[in-house]
Amino acid sequence: MDFKALAGNTDTSRRQFMEGTAKTALGVSMATTYGAVLGSKNVQAQEAAAGGGKAKSLIYIYNSGGMTHLDTFDPKKNNKKVMGDTETISTNVPGIHYGSHLKKLAEHADKIAVINSMSSTNGAHAQARYQMMTGYNQRATIVHPHIGPWCEKYFGKRGDLLPDSVIVNRGTSNSGYLEPALSPLPVANPTAGIANSQIMTSEDRFKQRMEMSLDMGKSFVEKYQHYSSPKGYIEFYDQASRLLSSDELEVFDLSGEKDRQKYGMNNLGQGCLLARRLVEKGVRVIEVHNGGWDMHNGIQDSLSSRLPPFDQAVAALISDLDQRGLLESTMIVVGTDFGRTSRINDRAGRDHQPAVFSTMFAGGGIAGGQKYGKSDADGRRVGDKKVSVEDFHATIGYGLGIDLGYEIYSPAGRPFVFGNHGKPVTGLFG
Amino acid sequence: MKYPPFFLPVAAVLAIGLMIPTVSEARVWTSTDGKKLEAIFESLEGDMIQLKLRNGQSVKFPVSRLIADDLEAAKRFALVGDDAMTMASAKKIDLLLARNLAKSTDIRSFNERLPDDLFVRRIYLDILGRIPTREEFQEFADSAREDKRAILIDELLASPGRASHLFNYFADMYRIKDTGVARELDYSPYSQWWRDSLAANVGYDKMVHQMITAKGNLGHNPAIGFLQRDEGMEFDAFSNFGQVMMGIDISCAQCHDHPFTDWTMEDFYQMAAFFGQTQRSMGSYKGAEGKNVRVGLPGAPEGWLNKFQNYAVKQGGINLEDRNERRQFGWYKTALGLNVVDNKRIDIAIPGQIDELGGQVVSPLTLYGENAKTGGKSRREALSEWMTDPANERFAVNIANRMWERAFGRALVEPVIDFPMDWRKHTGQPEVLEFLGQEMVRTGFDLREFMRILYNTQAYQGISTYDRDVDEGRFYLFQGPVLRRMRAEQAWDSLLTLAYGSKIDEVKGGDGSFMREVLRVDFKKDSMEEVFAKYEAYKKTRNKAQKVLVETASLKAKDPEIPVVDGIKMVRSSNMVQPASAASMLSTFGQSDRMVTDNSNFDGTVPQVLALMNGTVTTRLTGSSSQVVEDLSKFDGPDDMVRGVFFTMLSRYPNENELKKGVDMMETYGEDGIRDLAWALLNTPEFLFIQ
Repeated sequence: MDFKALAGNTDTSRRQFMEGTAKTALGVSMATTYGAVLGSKNVQAQEAAAGGGKAKSLIYIYNSGGMTHLDTFDPKKNNKKVMGDTETISTNVPGIHYGSHLKKLAEHADKIAVINSMSSTNGAHAQARYQMMTGYNQRATIVHPHIGPWCEKYFGKRGDLLPDSVIVNRGTSNSGYLEPALSPLPVANPTAGIANSQIMTSEDRFKQRMEMSLDMGKSFVEKYQHYSSPKGYIEFYDQASRLLSSDELEVFDLSGEKDRQKYGMNNLGQGCLLARRLVEKGVRVIEVHNGGWDMHNGIQDSLSSRLPPFDQAVAALISDLDQRGLLESTMIVVGTDFGRTSRINDRAGRDHQPAVFSTMFAGGGIAGGQKYGKSDADGRRVGDKKVSVEDFHATIGYGLGIDLGYEIYSPAGRPFVFGNHGKPVTGLFG
Repeated sequence: MKYPPFFLPVAAVLAIGLMIPTVSEARVWTSTDGKKLEAIFESLEGDMIQLKLRNGQSVKFPVSRLIADDLEAAKRFALVGDDAMTMASAKKIDLLLARNLAKSTDIRSFNERLPDDLFVRRIYLDILGRIPTREEFQEFADSAREDKRAILIDELLASPGRASHLFNYFADMYRIKDTGVARELDYSPYSQWWRDSLAANVGYDKMVHQMITAKGNLGHNPAIGFLQRDEGMEFDAFSNFGQVMMGIDISCAQCHDHPFTDWTMEDFYQMAAFFGQTQRSMGSYKGAEGKNVRVGLPGAPEGWLNKFQNYAVKQGGINLEDRNERRQFGWYKTALGLNVVDNKRIDIAIPGQIDELGGQVVSPLTLYGENAKTGGKSRREALSEWMTDPANERFAVNIANRMWERAFGRALVEPVIDFPMDWRKHTGQPEVLEFLGQEMVRTGFDLREFMRILYNTQAYQGISTYDRDVDEGRFYLFQGPVLRRMRAEQAWDSLLTLAYGSKIDEVKGGDGSFMREVLRVDFKKDSMEEVFAKYEAYKKTRNKAQKVLVETASLKAKDPEIPVVDGIKMVRSSNMVQPASAASMLSTFGQSDRMVTDNSNFDGTVPQVLALMNGTVTTRLTGSSSQVVEDLSKFDGPDDMVRGVFFTMLSRYPNENELKKGVDMMETYGEDGIRDLAWALLNTPEFLFIQ
């Protein structure tokens, strides 16, 4: 769809158009609505100052429900008691072993760093997930932003037309205490693309409608100028109009992609494929959600349905990015709510275990072929070099080049830093 | 004593706290021959109305003897009760609010009264959860009665839409989820229990009592869903329990003493111990002496499940070697077996990973107040009595504060899930909240009556505060409601109203009764054959249900009445599978995923905007076969057409400037102009907000 009649063919004319509409709608220019309070950092300066910072993009794959560490990245060889039916396999790095389901990832172990000594204080899904996504514990009084909005606030918006962050396999997103405009774009189904991105009239008529809408909405927005939400909607209409007018929407169309099968024809696989395409377009942070890891019952059945697609998708993503020369600038992270008990319960499942679990890193400056930290002999507690959820986030921030002491303020004036004062595991980086 | 007993509560209520002069006046009823009677409505049975006079006597006479207005009132009161107390209570709230407003240096008084057109939009959205149709507004505008706002409030409160929209609120608060919770059971009987209870206007205290004390499985008693939903995460369940029932978020103390309040871990586990003898499933529990106790299927003869399985294999011919069949059958057995019962042989200990206290069993002790009296009762019964006792002010204040927030867009004391124990110091209107708590008790936790009081206040009927930042100053004083964005459910139900009109109120969804029936098994009396027949019936729908669930915002029950447009079933939010699927428009507009309490989101996003620009409902509204356009094109002249579009989309009159621009558009583009204007108005932020 060529929609440039509305937005203008060049960046300048687009901006003129949008500033025009924003002026009409708000009586103020866009720069004074949010620009002034954004206070974006100088990207180059920050990345240099913080060290690390090779990762220009982040793909955060999230295994929702609590990924068993013993059956994946922290198998206990010869400890039949805790391993159940899962075997231990060798990888392409001598001395590094994975669970038997991760056959494809085992071939990329040289690019992968695993943390085996993750530890969380949250044993309930929602709270654990919240902290793994935001770096902060869930509180009743505030909502913390995910990594995407935080980065956009910190670095400033990178892309012009595409959003800075995208959440795949989730229908909603929010920006926490940051401006609503920083909300990641949710893509509920990676194969369906962005919902409702086809206009139903001619471009001219659409433009006319949009102008009329802004005109008719003016008095309401002006009347309720003390509220941020109506103004926010004007911004979203601005963003949406710009998106519809661009060619960039094609990135969401996976139908012509020749490597589709390689990633697996499921939400995780296609989500990872979409993530790669978005990285190629310069999108900074992509979360790919992947459910079904709460394996309280019959874990072997669950593992045989969840692990092969996971193994396939992540392995495809690593090798694809590597081939395209993007692995060095793209950090892939696999996180989860918590680990699962070494004891196999009465229902042949494993229960929640926040005390120790594993996460995975690759690319973006990560030195592969290593495991950091240890769980104890049965995988029940941290054995060595405990890494907290805050440390985990600080490590991601370090990779992205964020100054971990830099404070961003909530509307109530509370200061927050990326990773909640965690210490980055710098040993993961090359 | 001057007044008969009926008037005592009013007098008592008004005497509390402040000396505010008010008079509660009973309605003056007028007969067709001009006689007048000051009395309270009691009942209307057939043609006979019964009224209570000031002297306490009841009189009964044919209702046809009343003049038209009073006849109308009699019919209305028959549905929602007399309104003398309602109006007295609303007035008292206004007086209490006004007193503190007058003390403020800059606000002084209530906001100006909301114009009729915006009032109708707001009250429809607040009670029915959808915008009014143009016809519905017209009906209101045509009435010359002075009390037409009160009448409309009563009519809406008596209509089925009230329960529909209230369900949306509680579904968010109580995290109502039909699938994807404990053991992947189908919880539709539980969500239906909520729908039915709200429709019958069961007292909120009674609903809470049923949830805390429920026994059996989802078939025996669907209210067990409240406790069952978090099976396997009992202490999280308790944290949520504290948030919704007491307005206390004690979850921090689950793992460490609360950093900002006085709650300790001991407090947490002592109160959680009220559920320490609650058995939620079969399997292994820690016993009273720290030993493991295995518990079987409650209420069933020993070995019943094994016998049932043998029957299913031998007589029923099911093949457990088949993976699917094994899963189906296993699921059914699990669902039968997940019974909530009290079992004195078990006593759940503090989890092992909690440092010093791990493994200990503690005695139940309430977080505050006089401890619940357990003598002779189960712990849950004792807890429920303690909770819903009028002496537990916090319970009444908690739900009153929430209902207030629902009406005004902001609670009297915040946050609602965790308001301070000394809440009187944390609100600008302590007397109001105190009074609301008392009113909650007085009305018997009648939420319909409570809403009726709030919506009849002058404070509520004012325009939303727009002349200042409502976050300015220490506390908001409620000179009027704050501006609110529609809940996701309101947005969806309003779009449906635009597309299909008010008939959407009547469309029924799946009602959970099927699932309830297949699980309602009497293990002692029912024959194996009967139970197996239920399994077979379940198996058939289970396959279908799973398919349907993948569809966007869909239903389990088949209903030929429900229109399906582009694969989306056009039913109200409350009638969908809870919550609607992640890909649905409801989710896009921030419907809660029901993982944590009050998880709805009111922020805007690009996908929301795209849905309004190009989505299915918009296409239908402004496309070539639009009913809206067809109706409007029948109007005489462009002026009326423009007004018609404004009423359809925004429920208000256009101002002069808007009218002129709209007319220009009609004159230039004709019928297409209607579509363009409808599209433009739907896509103004105004559409999504409640002023």
